[in-house]
Amino acid sequence: MKKSFRVKSLLFGLCAGVAMQAHALEPDVLTVTKMAPADAYRVYIADPNFSSLVDGRMHVIDGQNMRYLGMVSTGFSGLSVLSPDRSELYVATTYYARLNHGERTDVVDIHDATTLARKEEIVIPPRHAQGTASRSLIQTSFDGSLLYVQNATPATSVTVVDLRNRKVLAEVPTPGCWAVYPSPTVASRFSAMCGNGSMLTLTLDEAGQVATRKQSAPFFDPDSDPVFPMYDRNGDKFVFVSFHGKVYQADLSGEMASVEPGWSLVGAADAKAGWRPGGYQLLATERAAGRLYVAMHDKGEEGSHKNPAKEIWVIDLASHKRIARLPGHNAVSMATSRGDKPRLYLLDATNNDLIAYDLGAKPKLFKRMPAIGNTPIHLELQ
Amino acid sequence: MFTLFIKLLDRLFERGTRQVAQRSSRRGALVRIGKLFVASAFVLPVLPFDRTGQAFAAQDAKRKQTKDDTRCDYWRYCAQDGYLCACCGGSATTCPPGTEASKVSWVGTCRNPDDGKDYLISYNDCCGKTSCGRCMCATSERERPGYRLGLHNDINWCMANDSSVFHCTTALVVGLAEGEA
Repeated sequence: MKKSFRVKSLLFGLCAGVAMQAHALEPDVLTVTKMAPADAYRVYIADPNFSSLVDGRMHVIDGQNMRYLGMVSTGFSGLSVLSPDRSELYVATTYYARLNHGERTDVVDIHDATTLARKEEIVIPPRHAQGTASRSLIQTSFDGSLLYVQNATPATSVTVVDLRNRKVLAEVPTPGCWAVYPSPTVASRFSAMCGNGSMLTLTLDEAGQVATRKQSAPFFDPDSDPVFPMYDRNGDKFVFVSFHGKVYQADLSGEMASVEPGWSLVGAADAKAGWRPGGYQLLATERAAGRLYVAMHDKGEEGSHKNPAKEIWVIDLASHKRIARLPGHNAVSMATSRGDKPRLYLLDATNNDLIAYDLGAKPKLFKRMPAIGNTPIHLELQ
Repeated sequence: MFTLFIKLLDRLFERGTRQVAQRSSRRGALVRIGKLFVASAFVLPVLPFDRTGQAFAAQDAKRKQTKDDTRCDYWRYCAQDGYLCACCGGSATTCPPGTEASKVSWVGTCRNPDDGKDYLISYNDCCGKTSCGRCMCATSERERPGYRLGLHNDINWCMANDSSVFHCTTALVVGLAEGEA
């Protein structure tokens, strides 16, 4: 009673104090910000938060105004991908019952990409690959009906999630192979890159069981010139680069992968100076223009394949010619926006800056946003 | 264990350097070590510090050393990726107290500058506690993508433990590499 009286007196005092001031501010009411509808330049930045991996996050950025919009929690070593219509964000991740110990539960957390609110979860086998965030480790089928999640125990397999019915459909072994590349035309089909330099393509039946399993002929030498599993799309084709700068375009729509002969984006003189691709998300395509952007460093050598970019090379995919060289901005990751007036977004690994270029005939620096997050490593655009 | 977060590495490495230097000024016994550490950070282009700048100098086997396992240029760390357990209460070959050794690991091949021989190195993580956060070291000699998973370091090698929470990384000699007598 006494305590309650005191609180009331205090409140009365406070109110009286406020009332005495002229033109007093109205009391605030706390609400949750509603995001404006996304334009083509919304950027989703995966940040595994390396110094405390159990607490990963994704930063959502307005890439037109270079403004921070909000965050999504992504758990321990989460892999994330947006639905094709950008309405949902799927995060395959791990939680321990007692933060760093106890029972392990892996889930696909489903977030509403328009509000950044968590909607629901699908429990998946506790084997999702706790790898560096990459689009090559998690993808939806082209129509958004299935989700493919890379597993590693370290035996490799892929969990197939039925997104429409919100349940796990199957787990498919992919021994000796890595990454999930969904077919651009068949929802129940995906490919993976294999240790013998080939591409494995699996087609599943309605129950998620393997209907066909076809391995392409080897198209690269994993010993002398390995191919980065990272990719971007050129129309229906998947574009890859190798450690030494060979470009491969793969048609992954059919029962068996078909890979065009590789060609080098590095001329003889540049090869002599040791120019090589490097980084994590080290390439991006500008689809309408048929251009490829690649993070490049010189004096390359064994072990330099994750070095940040000294330059970004702009390559015409049809003629194989280099058409421009941009400053590298120490980028290790990059992505392009879709639609008209595309932009290239780079992550500067030395200061976590996000850098945007207007593309078009002559790429031009648009804006820079400083210091995003702790250890950002991967970008996706609206 | 994981990946090359250059920004983080840069910051941690600089901070580590400063901390050592500060400690040195307070404790006379550490002055010499601090000076050595600072000197090496700026004179030797040691990875990963060196990777952050434009002036990337070639990794040179001659620059590897065999004495100090708390530094990233220690010869066994040629395909390292993680916080050095030697800075976290363990060593290059022991996990810090109360952590668990990883059941699986990735493998590198590093040349020992003392005997000129190539050794197979097993990079076992230590698991069960949150990230140590000290002495980040990321190098990638002969590191390969996930389709050669046993040579891949952009993944958590605590993955097969009861607690897969990553703490730090060790570097154990397994034996001579193929072709070494």
